[in-house]
Amino acid sequence: MTILEVNNLKKVYTTRFGGSPVQALANVSFSVEEGEYAAIMGESGSGKTTLLNILASLDKPTSGEVLLKGKGLTTIKEKEISAFRRENLGFVFQDFNLLDTFSLQDNIFLPLVLSGKSYEEMSRRLEPIARKLGIGDILAKYPYEVSGGQKQRCAVARALITKPQLILADEPTGSLDSQSAEGLLRLFKEINSEGQTLLMVTHSVKAASHAKRVLFIKDGEVFHQLYKAGMSDEAMYQKISDTLTTMATGGGHHE
Amino acid sequence: MSRFFYPKLAATNLKKNAQTYLPYILTCIGTVMMYYIMVFLSKNEGLGKMTGGSEVQTILNLGCYVIAIFAAIFLFYTHSFLIKRRKKEFGLFNILGMEKKHIARVLAIETLYVAGISLGAGLLGGILLSKLIFMVLLKILNFEVPLGFEVSGPALAAVLVLFAGIFLLTLLNTLRQIHLAKPVELLMGGQTGEKEPKTKWLLVAMGTLSLGGGYYISLTTESPLAALTQFFFAVLLVMVGTYCLFTAGSIAVLKLLRRNKGYYYQTRHFTAVAGMMYRMKQNAVGLANICIMATAVLVMVSTTVSLYIGMEDVLRTRYPQHIMISTPVPAQQSVEGLQTSVKEVLAKHGLEGKDRLDYRYAALVGNQEGDRVITDMSNISDDSSSVREFYLIPLEDYNRLAKRTASLGDDEILIYSSSSKYEEDTLTVLNRTFTVKERLDSFFENSPNRVSISGSYYVVVKDMDVVKAMEEARAKENGDDPSGYRYYLGFDLEAGEADISAVYQDIRTAVGSDYPGSSIESPVAAKESFFAIYGGLFFLGIFLGALFIMATVLIIYYKQVSEGYDDKARFEIMQKVGMSREEVRGSIRSQVLIVFFLPLVAAGIHIAFAFPIITKLLAVLNLTNVGLFAWCTAGTILVFALFYAIVYGLTAKVYYRIVSWGTSG
Repeated sequence: MTILEVNNLKKVYTTRFGGSPVQALANVSFSVEEGEYAAIMGESGSGKTTLLNILASLDKPTSGEVLLKGKGLTTIKEKEISAFRRENLGFVFQDFNLLDTFSLQDNIFLPLVLSGKSYEEMSRRLEPIARKLGIGDILAKYPYEVSGGQKQRCAVARALITKPQLILADEPTGSLDSQSAEGLLRLFKEINSEGQTLLMVTHSVKAASHAKRVLFIKDGEVFHQLYKAGMSDEAMYQKISDTLTTMATGGGHHE
Repeated sequence: MSRFFYPKLAATNLKKNAQTYLPYILTCIGTVMMYYIMVFLSKNEGLGKMTGGSEVQTILNLGCYVIAIFAAIFLFYTHSFLIKRRKKEFGLFNILGMEKKHIARVLAIETLYVAGISLGAGLLGGILLSKLIFMVLLKILNFEVPLGFEVSGPALAAVLVLFAGIFLLTLLNTLRQIHLAKPVELLMGGQTGEKEPKTKWLLVAMGTLSLGGGYYISLTTESPLAALTQFFFAVLLVMVGTYCLFTAGSIAVLKLLRRNKGYYYQTRHFTAVAGMMYRMKQNAVGLANICIMATAVLVMVSTTVSLYIGMEDVLRTRYPQHIMISTPVPAQQSVEGLQTSVKEVLAKHGLEGKDRLDYRYAALVGNQEGDRVITDMSNISDDSSSVREFYLIPLEDYNRLAKRTASLGDDEILIYSSSSKYEEDTLTVLNRTFTVKERLDSFFENSPNRVSISGSYYVVVKDMDVVKAMEEARAKENGDDPSGYRYYLGFDLEAGEADISAVYQDIRTAVGSDYPGSSIESPVAAKESFFAIYGGLFFLGIFLGALFIMATVLIIYYKQVSEGYDDKARFEIMQKVGMSREEVRGSIRSQVLIVFFLPLVAAGIHIAFAFPIITKLLAVLNLTNVGLFAWCTAGTILVFALFYAIVYGLTAKVYYRIVSWGTSG
């Protein structure tokens, strides 16, 4: 079943003082199936972040549509969009986006509190997640008291606790050391193997090589995609590197 | 490097930081202006020569010290805030290759600019305004306004010395901070770890106790004399309590709320409690400062305004009759000479004394302990609250004035009290015990309602023999000569102030020589010095009130700005995690509202509790019109709250612009 469907997405930024419009996304179409683990790759300025912001309903496309389980994101009313985002999407960011004013546990609870869940239910939901992520003993601490890897695992817990249709990860390993990054990627794999759909934006070849499918974006369009199928991480890594080299040296489309 | 590089860089820096520097410079200008004007007035020779002018200048001199100390602390404090915000900038300079001595040079030039602008504009404004303020002061004091315009050299010098010192100190402090810090620390300066505050129960307990103690003193102090000494103690307690409770108390309350899971994990309370905890930790001291300053402004303005407005009342309370003569009558002399002299003076002016009141009396002062009075001066205790004055009046005079035909035995008395009631059945004084035959609810008509700083009793005794015997006993105990008894004569005149004044002067000359030691008083004569003192206080109250308000405004402004920068990031995260813009906005707005109106509410509560003791203090200053004071207080609070709300509204705009709703998301 298709979870996410992106059709002919286009985004043009117009600068305020009548400067020339900048096209961030030209024509992007792709879909993500339930249980998939997809990565979107591209250089800086290729439109990755714009795409993710639109998927996250934080930004609106100039034209085109985004369907989450068949429901058009652009048709949702402004008032309901936050609740929709909260209930259907989970986010993991490069800079963690944990609030310093809350303990890690409260950070994880935040989306549920906003949805009006009781404390008992929240604790019940957190317990298995915390065990899986190995953060049970740091829950009472504050974000500034723990390491980057621990922060990111808490951010993952915050994304998981709402049982979202889709988890969007924006450069999740970007602020982590190699060991923590490795751990996080293993974790994503594990979550995915349990059925969670994941979409990750990255320019780390290493991170992308863990995904089942890699989409390459260049100049606002989907340039190419790779399926991992039975390949090992190392082989996938090699293949991605080759594709990036081809893209950088100006090779044409090949599917 | 060009010679102009540093001056240019300094100028650019100031321009770039205009949002925070402009209010600082404006405050500097304002403070310079106020200090110049205050020194100018307190040193003005013309004012000193006017009647009562020297009293006014004593009061204004006090104002100079207050402003100087306040300016130093306050400018130092706000400047450290500015530098905190700029640490990142310094770090960047450092990394880009500027050495610390170069940064120091830029900072020195910046300080020079700020000092130059502040002193230049401040002195110019001060000189221009000083004439206006001078005229306002004279108007308040009911003095005549002289022509001419002058610039005071000593005032200029005082301003230059004070503010050069303040600017130098702030610069040195900044350099010290920069010098000690590593570039990385400077870069991170704005965002050093926000540790969760600890609950300090000891501070909470201390705060509660001292605040409660302060309030208790205010509510229970009975005697005005005690109020005088206790007031400062109470103020100190309340200040300590305010600081403790704002810093520790608020955190404790929020933590208790957080521990209540059913309450805490609700959409509306969740972000609010955590947000408030963070804010209180950041702002508690600043808020306590605002609260104390607001309280000070309110007390100062409301009391001085009511004293000034109530001047006529005050005069009437202090001087119930137009002419009041009180004189000692030595044993061999009689009062007839005095009565004749007064009659002659009145005849000369063609006037007649109205509501004439005269009686003989003797005065005793002592500590009341139950039904005993200790009059031995060497034994009088320090406890000012038990000091009482006793006026012994013979029955004959009382009956005449009260139009009664009461009778008394040898050791029987009638007693009347103007403040607290005399509860005992007997009164033992100077080894003689009297039985209270009657407690009087009122004395005779027009009786001098002596509002004395200590409580006073009117004691009616059988006859003059008793009065004289008591006076002799008193003199014997204290080892001085008996001064016989005293005689009071007072009356009103149906005449204008000029005539009353003339009569007063004549009586002074006529009576003064025959009866040495006599006191002759008239509200007309006292009016000028009353205007000088109360008008001076009124002026100082308004002037310092304005200064404090300026400070409050600046603190609020800086709070808003710094909160804005901090909130911006949190606001974005909350939106990403799934809070709608309206939810975030509502939550932040209510927190900001609570934070800014908390000090005002606390100040209101302080004032409410301070009300009883302040009315007693005003009684010492002869203002007994509690209603007037209540209205003045209410009015002051209202005006202040309005002003506060306007300032809040204006600064909130800056805040929202920083957080800039809507550009993200």
